[in-house]
Amino acid sequence: MLTRRILLMSATAVLPVLGLPLSPARAQSLDQATAFIERTMKEIAAVVNAPDTLAGKQQKLQAIIDRTVDVDGVARFCLGRFWRTASPAQQNQYLDLFHRVLMINITGKVGEYQGVSFVLGRTQPREGAIVVSSTVNRPGTAPSKVDWLVSNETGSPKIIDVIAEGTSLRLTQRSDYAAYLSHNNNSVQALIDALRQQASQPG
Amino acid sequence: MRRLSPSFRLPALPALAGAVVLAASLAGCASKPPADDPDAVAEYNESNDPAEPTNRVFYAVNNGLDTVILRPLAVGYKYVVPFVVRSHIHNVLTNLSMPASLFNDMLQAHPRRAGTSFMRILVNSTVGVAGVFDVATEWGWPAHDSDGGMTLALWGLPEGPFLFLPVLGPTSPRDATGFGADVASDPITWFGQGVLVSSLGYTRYGMSAVDTRTNVLDDLDKIKAQALDPYATIRSLYRQHRQSQIDEARSDDPATVPAWFVQPRRP
Repeated sequence: MLTRRILLMSATAVLPVLGLPLSPARAQSLDQATAFIERTMKEIAAVVNAPDTLAGKQQKLQAIIDRTVDVDGVARFCLGRFWRTASPAQQNQYLDLFHRVLMINITGKVGEYQGVSFVLGRTQPREGAIVVSSTVNRPGTAPSKVDWLVSNETGSPKIIDVIAEGTSLRLTQRSDYAAYLSHNNNSVQALIDALRQQASQPG
Repeated sequence: MRRLSPSFRLPALPALAGAVVLAASLAGCASKPPADDPDAVAEYNESNDPAEPTNRVFYAVNNGLDTVILRPLAVGYKYVVPFVVRSHIHNVLTNLSMPASLFNDMLQAHPRRAGTSFMRILVNSTVGVAGVFDVATEWGWPAHDSDGGMTLALWGLPEGPFLFLPVLGPTSPRDATGFGADVASDPITWFGQGVLVSSLGYTRYGMSAVDTRTNVLDDLDKIKAQALDPYATIRSLYRQHRQSQIDEARSDDPATVPAWFVQPRRP
């Protein structure tokens, strides 16, 4: 009997530790990130599901992405170590092209996302940023698990990565660029030319 | 002497894969960058793909086969068969692979997951009419990923270098070994004999290939259209996806506490 009581006591003593007590400031930034993602998801769903022309949807979606995603930060991350070796002119060209290609890739298929809906899951800190989990439902496809990585580094909450079914968009993009660069003598100019080619192609 | 059933030939696949692995490792190796370029060395180690030239050849071969055979089949399948029917077929195929999942859950020492797999087989094979309806998910036993490669990972076996094998596609020595073990441990591989049984077996493998390909139809099209180096992109995606499956299996290990005892809080 005594052993059971000790066990019970030690179990209850461990519980708060398991419950991960958060400081008020951190809890607040978690709530803030959740609210930010929830707001953004609602905006995206509203644009995608609205009875609008394709061009109109793309334009509105682009505005939301510009406001909520740290595109420049993602672009720098994707170039990795080559960001330092690029000249300032190349850096500017690269940022501009990255932005345009990203927009084409995201908004190009906006028509296919008709009927999309989001269900938010839990929010937790990860590596200096905050992960907001969600499930994305699209008619005609199985639901997919999408995590949104949110950072406050620029002063306001911004999306810095999208992790779909465990695969990070920016990590994948970075390895794509790294492989292309290593097959083109590590020339940033070659990458810029390839991106220009992509940016000039519709969808 | 007992005649071996035609379906016995299937486990020869891992042996073939093993031979190809060996051939690939002998055929060509990526040249290691010079040691005075630490960034390049770090990149080489990160991509962990010493057989890259050979892998790229197999990638090109698979890609060619996919373009003329598997992709058209997947496109046709998606066009002709409605989503509802496709998802029922997917359910049947998933149910057929559940015994292998159950076996791996047990090898991973995850009793809760094994219980879920067991209940999925039981419920979906009966109430779910041979797996057509996924009743188990609605009853609180949702599907989870569990295969031989994940088991070996949880046992502490490192992934090893990246491999791109003919037919099998992106994998690693660990995952290819796990795949072989899964085929060998699948009771259906050894079930019965005769023309009907073996043709049903091949139908299952064929349907699985088309079903899987159809599920990644849009994603793969997008990768090929948008990536500067689709091979490297697939390599990265494959690794990340495997890692996330392994992490999920590792963390999904709730304590099995008697009902009368204080229940630990689930995060």
